[in-house]
Amino acid sequence: MTVPEPSATPAGSEPRPAGPAKPATGEPLLSVRDLVQEFTVRERGGGKVGVVQAVSGVSFDIMPGETLGIVGETGSGKSTLARAILQAPRPKSGSVTFRGTELTKLRGGRLLQARRHMQFVFQDPFGSLDPKWKVRSIVAEPLVAYHTGNGTARRKRVNELLDLVGMDPARYAKRHPRELSGGQAQRVAIARAVALEPSLLICDEAVSSLDVLIQAQVLNLFERLRAELGLSYLFIAHDLALVKQVSDRVAVMYLGKLCETGPGEAVYREPLHPYTRALLDSIPSTEPGAARASSVIEGEPPSPINPPSGCRFRTRCPRATDLCAEEEPKPRELAAGHAVACHFPLTEPPPAESAESTSAENGTARAAAPDGSETTSKAVR
Amino acid sequence: MTDALLVVDDLRITFAVGGREVRAVDGINFTVSPGATLAIIGESGSGKTVSCRAIMGLLPTGTAIGGSARLHGTELLGLSDAELRRHRGSDLAMVFQDPARSLNPTMRIGLQITEAITTHRKVSKREAQAQAIELLRLVRMPAAERRFHEYPHQLSGGMRQRVMIAMALACRPKLLIADEATTALDVTTQAQIMELLLDLQQELDMALIMISHDLGLAASYADEVIVMYAGKIVEQAPAAGLFGAGGAVRMRYTRALLDAIPHLERSAHTPLPVVGGRPPDPTALPRGCSFAPRCGYAEDDCLAKVPALAEHAPGHSWACWHPCENGGAA
Amino acid sequence: MAAPLPNVTLASPHPPPLPSLINARRLRTQRLGRALRLWVPVGVLILILAICFLLPLVVTLPSATSGNIIVNNEPPFSPGHILGTDVQGVDIFSQLVYGGQVAFEVGISVTVIGIVIGGTLGVIAAYFGGWVDAVISRVFDILIAFPALVLALVIAEGLGPTEMHVIWALAVFGIPAVGRVARGATLTIRGLPFMTAARLAGTRRWRIIARHVVPNIFPSIVTFSLLGLGIIIILEGALDFLGYGIQRPKPSWGNMISNGQQILSVQPEYVLIPSIALLITVAALNMLGDALRERWGTQ
Repeated sequence: MTVPEPSATPAGSEPRPAGPAKPATGEPLLSVRDLVQEFTVRERGGGKVGVVQAVSGVSFDIMPGETLGIVGETGSGKSTLARAILQAPRPKSGSVTFRGTELTKLRGGRLLQARRHMQFVFQDPFGSLDPKWKVRSIVAEPLVAYHTGNGTARRKRVNELLDLVGMDPARYAKRHPRELSGGQAQRVAIARAVALEPSLLICDEAVSSLDVLIQAQVLNLFERLRAELGLSYLFIAHDLALVKQVSDRVAVMYLGKLCETGPGEAVYREPLHPYTRALLDSIPSTEPGAARASSVIEGEPPSPINPPSGCRFRTRCPRATDLCAEEEPKPRELAAGHAVACHFPLTEPPPAESAESTSAENGTARAAAPDGSETTSKAVR
Repeated sequence: MTDALLVVDDLRITFAVGGREVRAVDGINFTVSPGATLAIIGESGSGKTVSCRAIMGLLPTGTAIGGSARLHGTELLGLSDAELRRHRGSDLAMVFQDPARSLNPTMRIGLQITEAITTHRKVSKREAQAQAIELLRLVRMPAAERRFHEYPHQLSGGMRQRVMIAMALACRPKLLIADEATTALDVTTQAQIMELLLDLQQELDMALIMISHDLGLAASYADEVIVMYAGKIVEQAPAAGLFGAGGAVRMRYTRALLDAIPHLERSAHTPLPVVGGRPPDPTALPRGCSFAPRCGYAEDDCLAKVPALAEHAPGHSWACWHPCENGGAA
Repeated sequence: MAAPLPNVTLASPHPPPLPSLINARRLRTQRLGRALRLWVPVGVLILILAICFLLPLVVTLPSATSGNIIVNNEPPFSPGHILGTDVQGVDIFSQLVYGGQVAFEVGISVTVIGIVIGGTLGVIAAYFGGWVDAVISRVFDILIAFPALVLALVIAEGLGPTEMHVIWALAVFGIPAVGRVARGATLTIRGLPFMTAARLAGTRRWRIIARHVVPNIFPSIVTFSLLGLGIIIILEGALDFLGYGIQRPKPSWGNMISNGQQILSVQPEYVLIPSIALLITVAALNMLGDALRERWGTQ
């Protein structure tokens, strides 16, 4: 492993960004192309059962200052995608270009330098903090690792960071993680993540394990950091409403592929992919008696070891036809910045031989009626 | 008024933790009518799970429990193990949050269901097996006969939860308590399971208590909603009285919860109305209203005196000295 | 629902408190018990160590290796010989003291070697995985597969019966024992997010091992080592008893027992006294290990 070039800065001054200069506006901050990540699944004895392609050719861009939200359910591969972007572990194939540098080709010290501006916030606030370390050591760790400043400068910076995330350094700097609440622990993790002034923050279900009110506090913190530090985010979650709240653009992921990508409002108001529609319909709204039974999606997600041929969503899609089984739909842009991977996106009427159209004929309509008049008797009490 | 199925009266539960007393539940009352759906909403530490476990008799020995919980007139608190076993399964049953931990990983699921059946009914093995498969079909398990012989790890989260529900329904209980039963599931699976539970309620004339932190779930599926904070009920109303057009949320905490949830209708990057602080330390509850230290509208009387839960409007009770004026729709 | 009554209070804001669960006296007893379980064995061990290592520096003890045949077989509390003398007239108390030194020297050395070599190998195996882990684990497995005593016997026989060789012989057992514990504990830690977070923060691998892994596996290693120390002392005694370890006239608890075996029926104290010393030492070590495990919550 090559020793990284020391970027020691004189005491008190801000750390110099290492690596290539920030790309000019217009260039994406992060550019992911055809990313593929696999695991081998072994049975207990060690014999190989199969290969799971958790991420199967995912491509997207994040522009500087933008927040991209990725929403997906269990087995969608979204967490694997996040790790693959970080090269931890390295993806099987595809490219990840960050600030103009191709990360998949870098090793050791150079990868460390390039990755400095990309940081990660984990789902489990306590799991991501070493229980034996004090808060101030935890937050200072990246500063120490990149040889930023001397002891005094670092201590000052740690206090600044704790203030930034709304924790009083005098009270919290010398505590251990077990003396913190979930929300506080997550704030410490965030303070650590922004210590080196990253350009991109990847948040993997970062608020999912927090109580509702604490979750709101942390989300507001993310917004504040976005404004004050000019951060871009890759925000990963399974809650579509949450993702839409924090993101400029939203990508929907299913079984390793992106179904739909577009501006948050557009994806919400005019979803193009049937899966997006199903997700939206499944969200319980705070309107009692709303048309919630309109499109409860059938079936279970298929096993990622053996994904369906063609379009992966076809086994649960009311609009699936034979074409969907034969040919995998490629993403195409139907509106400004709004792309979908579907042969029969929702802007078109359901295809003739699909389940949706036949069930509509038979009158066993479980599909969404356009005027939302489908309500069950339960709604009326 | 129909004869209430479950009547909980002044339930109080106290634990001893590390030498300090924790008042987990501090005097709550509610009733559940047959076939009705009640949602108990609260965050962690509110006491919602503990109260239902007390009703089921699942709290560890050495917990001080006061008050009463009567199912069709029979007192449930303080029953012996043998008596509890008679009630559990046939009168009331519970489904938990994490099906992975609630199912025995070394036993086939069919066996676990038949075990639930034979505990309460004297039937032959073959009869129990037939009933178990019938139950799997009832919970809409695809390929029920095949799944009968499978192990929990071969099933997805949603399917495991269906197995848990099948086990809970084995003896047609009159009351089902679902403790965050869908929290660990994907939103599409959650919708399926909730639809299933509601259909089962109709088919089996079963009451349902759903415990959750998700107000949206309560609004969509419940008849009556109870909001708990720090061991007390702070607001209680029919769902229509709280949410949607015509609904009015009164207690400040409920309002804070509603505002803090991300809503699809909001545009991105709008700052969420935030309530600072954390839930109170249960060993050292504040003198006045438990929510007052965090409430943006707290006044002096809020900090000094505990507000009583009172029915200020027909069917709608709240415990707040300065409630929201026009609570507004969700 | 029944017609509502206006402003009916449904729940009293101040329900009367339940009978208190906290029995202050029982709590005090619990705390006392926990403290005793920790400090009593610590005290006993400090006392034993003081007697074995400090006492000879302060008080001149009669020789532990040579004795006057004339005063042999003296009973305990004879003048000049607190615990009496053995068949050859050697003072028993001195033998006990110097035998204790041997026991602890061997025990602590083996434990330290185990931690340093075994612990390091275990951590490396778990942290780097792959073929490194495979090789190291197989080595551990092979060493552990031999019955400890037999292995120690063979090595001691092969190398010759001195204290150093006993140490190395027992270390062959100690290294894989500690190594496996270290490996297991490191594997548990390795999957945790804070390890990934440390990598992402840019921390170099050796530093991660030193500052993240070691402090977190430390409790497991310590509790295991304390229990292991007791086992090593027993094994050492067994080796000496069988004649493969420390040889007479140099005293050790094991060879004292062996020596006294012959006249066990007539003068049992030659066997009893070193046996009791062994018992107390190992029991204290076990109690201490359990008390620490209780306190630190490790397995």
